[in-house]
Amino acid sequence: MAALVELSGVWKRFARDWVLKGVDLAVQAGEAVALLGPNGVGKTTLLRVAAGLTRPQRGEVRLFGKPAARIEAERGELLFLANPPAFYRHLTGEENLTSWLLLLGRPADPEAVAEALAEVGLPRGRPVLAYSSGMKKRLALARVLLARPRLLLLDEPETALDEEGRTLLARAIAEVRGSGGGVLLATHDRAFAEGVADREVVLS
Amino acid sequence: MRRIFALAARDLRLELRGRAGLFSALFFLGVVLLILGFALGPEEADLRRAAPGVLWVALAFAGSLLAGRAWAVEVENDTLDDLLLLPGSREWIYWGKFLFLWVLLFFVSLLLLVMVAGMFYLPLTRAPALLFTLVLGATGYAAVATFYAGLVVRLPTAQLVLPILVFSVVVPVILAAVRATMGLAEGAALAEVAAWWKLLALFDVVYLTASSLLFPFVIEG
Repeated sequence: MAALVELSGVWKRFARDWVLKGVDLAVQAGEAVALLGPNGVGKTTLLRVAAGLTRPQRGEVRLFGKPAARIEAERGELLFLANPPAFYRHLTGEENLTSWLLLLGRPADPEAVAEALAEVGLPRGRPVLAYSSGMKKRLALARVLLARPRLLLLDEPETALDEEGRTLLARAIAEVRGSGGGVLLATHDRAFAEGVADREVVLS
Repeated sequence: MRRIFALAARDLRLELRGRAGLFSALFFLGVVLLILGFALGPEEADLRRAAPGVLWVALAFAGSLLAGRAWAVEVENDTLDDLLLLPGSREWIYWGKFLFLWVLLFFVSLLLLVMVAGMFYLPLTRAPALLFTLVLGATGYAAVATFYAGLVVRLPTAQLVLPILVFSVVVPVILAAVRATMGLAEGAALAEVAAWWKLLALFDVVYLTASSLLFPFVIEG
């Protein structure tokens, strides 16, 4: 069976600086892989390349068995949560989630949205501009619960989260893996990585 | 189609809550009309003759302020990546953004029409035909502006580059719209005005088709 995401000999540069030099990496169904490494080593860039958001100068990226540039409908099965996660500040948490569901082509489903918000412990009716960093991370977790993605890409998901938030995050990662999905996460926290991932890849 | 409306509705909601773009465009309109009114007045005949040009000059410049709004909301919230990760071919994103900008422009042009009628004696006796001209003009303008705003969205100088790009392409739309409005204001036969409408409609179809087809290639990072 094809890997959910597969990078083969990926080279990526910004201006004259090569950030990724011949990276090979694959995430299989049911697997969680943690990317470790110091600041500036290219973890976020690798995640963005894996998501198909930026093209490498050399090498190949395949998502769900297809070249990343060719996927269309499959993008709905991929969820990339940036650090910090991005939301529309003038919308409330539930408006952000509802609007996102509609844009995914799914029904609005206010009950599922309310349930997801309650599960991550967020209040309703508050605009995201009044959220703390940790609350935004929790709202991002609510997205995972709503989307049930096949491939979850997470950039430093544990930062700004309290202990309870980290437990929710670990549970969400386990649920994605348990349902046959894959997770690729970049982190600086080795202990957290060891707790949630099957294997670690160190970028240097 | 549902996703196009959902995207446009969400952007309109954000624009009304954020207010920055719409309010600055309306303020700008007021100032432009005031200055032109002082420069051209106070003779009624002079004001009336200038009214079609004033209408479209003011709309073109206010439109340049609004042009970037379709994408500014994504830049301000860092949500461009999320938008690009939505499933499906990306033409629908263009149509959603276009619809948002079109509604914004049409709303502003309606206000402008009333203001120009009041200050510059633009006759509203042929209001339906004037509205039709506004619809065609706003469509062409929004088609071009949405495309170029998407093209430059990642540039730090987007706000400076965008009006230059938009104006260089949208001039035929503005000229045809001015001539159609002049014809309506001066009581020309509808057949004569219709020639300009046809030209406007042609521009609209060409710009919309080309922009929506090219959009998926220009929006990729």
